[in-house]
Amino acid sequence: MSVLEVQHVTGGYTRKPVIKDLSFTIGKGELVGLIGLNGAGKSTTIKHIIGTMLPKEGNIRLNGVTLKEDTDKYRTAFSYIPETPVLYDELTLREHLELTAMAYGMNKATLDARSAILLKEFRMEKRLNWFPSHFSKGMRQKVMIMCAFLVNPSLYIIDEPFVGLDPLGIQSLLDQMDEKKKEGASILMSTHILSTAEKHCDRIILLHEGSVRAQGTMADLRNAFAMPNATLDDLYIAMTKERDHEELA
Amino acid sequence: MKNLRDVWSSRFMHYIGEVQKYMQFTFTGHIAIVLVFLIGAGGYQYSEWLKVVQADFPAEILIAVIVGLLLIFSRPTTLLREPDQVYLLPLESKMSQYFSKALAWTFWSQVWIAAIVYIVSIPLLKAVTDLTTLNIWLIFLLIVVLKYISVQGEFNYRYSERGQLVWVDRLIRAVIFVVAIYLALQTQLLLVIIATVISVIYMVVFRKKSIGEPIPYEHFVKLEQNRMMSFYRFANYFTDVPHLHGSIRRRGWLDWLYKFIPYGKGNAQKYLVFRTFIRTDDHFYLWLRLTAISAIIAVFVDIPVVTWIVAGALSFATTIQLKQALLTSGEFRMDMLYPLPDNARRLAVKQIVRLAMITQAVIVGVCAITQPMFYLTIVIIVGVSELTMKISKP
Repeated sequence: MSVLEVQHVTGGYTRKPVIKDLSFTIGKGELVGLIGLNGAGKSTTIKHIIGTMLPKEGNIRLNGVTLKEDTDKYRTAFSYIPETPVLYDELTLREHLELTAMAYGMNKATLDARSAILLKEFRMEKRLNWFPSHFSKGMRQKVMIMCAFLVNPSLYIIDEPFVGLDPLGIQSLLDQMDEKKKEGASILMSTHILSTAEKHCDRIILLHEGSVRAQGTMADLRNAFAMPNATLDDLYIAMTKERDHEELA
Repeated sequence: MKNLRDVWSSRFMHYIGEVQKYMQFTFTGHIAIVLVFLIGAGGYQYSEWLKVVQADFPAEILIAVIVGLLLIFSRPTTLLREPDQVYLLPLESKMSQYFSKALAWTFWSQVWIAAIVYIVSIPLLKAVTDLTTLNIWLIFLLIVVLKYISVQGEFNYRYSERGQLVWVDRLIRAVIFVVAIYLALQTQLLLVIIATVISVIYMVVFRKKSIGEPIPYEHFVKLEQNRMMSFYRFANYFTDVPHLHGSIRRRGWLDWLYKFIPYGKGNAQKYLVFRTFIRTDDHFYLWLRLTAISAIIAVFVDIPVVTWIVAGALSFATTIQLKQALLTSGEFRMDMLYPLPDNARRLAVKQIVRLAMITQAVIVGVCAITQPMFYLTIVIIVGVSELTMKISKP
């Protein structure tokens, strides 16, 4: 059974839809990359999945339920790492972790055990009592990542995760993602760093102007574009050029 | 290039605009009520006291010391800014135009403090001294002249000494001024003139000393920055100042309070809202100042009905503002994604506001404890708050 099912979703901010008839699924233990140009609809897609925007048409199921059918089950099923870190200026790092754990109904022992591992992994143990105003961009990103991994959900939704992280941070994140995958969690990751996506994603969804242009494994994509041996960068550029030609014609 | 008088004028307009903007907020609403009460009560007490004051009351020395001390604080308002030390550098020799404007404003913006205090003391002088009306107004003139000397003197001193040891300068001026005013109140005309001449000489000494010195931009700019910051901080007790907006302070001494919200899923929003309230300056000071005003009224106004009305009005003001402040937030926050009931935030805000208002009620109640039926104050604050919470839009 799929963890995430996006079925014929159309939606956007105004009447003019940003995403049009979007459909894809993510299976258990899959790492799927959401790739597209600026303005292709990646962020809007993510906003629909996390439930801050509601689809005008179609529906989105997480672990078999829509947000309306069972809000609690839907919300507990995923955690989200936004592109720009969203932190509470008035909470310390420790309090961010504690608040997240409380909200997701975690007991204190689990919180302590999991946060100890994460703090060590991301080298933030000494900053437990710091406020976000003293954190660099990368550290803020790490706080978000730790909160997301603390929850241990079925689906991770990660928006542009590598920008601002130092190389060690990127490695830690990839390690964590790998580990969670092995435990059966799914990951939807949007990114511009195509080489990393190519290397780590099981499947790629190429989004262009609000629709799915192509999706599948790297092999599927190479077939679809008739470009054997192509890298994801090549395919990506080919896709955008192809569209430009169509528009000009 | 525009001349330096224009530079001063445009800065001055901007400065006045800024001060006006915040003064409007500072002295409207609740603070105006309090001031009217305090001035009224103070005036009444003073006039009652004048009826019984003893003839041997040491009014002269008291007034001389108070007015003298008020006169010495003559920090120049130069409105200089950091870039000036670069951009105005070529105009160094023409800066006296600018400074004469600045010192004129400094004088007029400060002289009224000492003047008002002196005018308020005139009934006392009439009651306990033999000074004629003419004498009294001549002394008023002397105070104005001394203020002028003080403004010029402090500026010259700061200029020539780059602001070092300004308290020494102030101490010297304080002694001269207090003596001058005291002698004037004793109608020792000759000695007054001598004291005044000494203060003029003192002023001229530092003016001579400052000639040829480069303008101490760093010192003056720092003075300006400090002045504006303390003004903004003052205004922030009454209204939102964007320059200080949303500042967060840990307030570690209140950490023990958080124990009242134990770990648990049901408490997640309360955990967050409580910390937001305590640590955000805007929210915390809002509560603090309204509670303080209510408490001060409870202590100083002996008419229970007035205490009740003020306490009720301020309870309403605190509740509604706090509720709005804690509820509204247009931005995306992570707690919007938490698997919590939709009304969790609203419920948490309600409970935290209730806690804050019960605390206010207890504080004001204790301050009103000398009044009959002081417990009614507590009931009114809590009652009005609950009612406000119920009928205000969610």
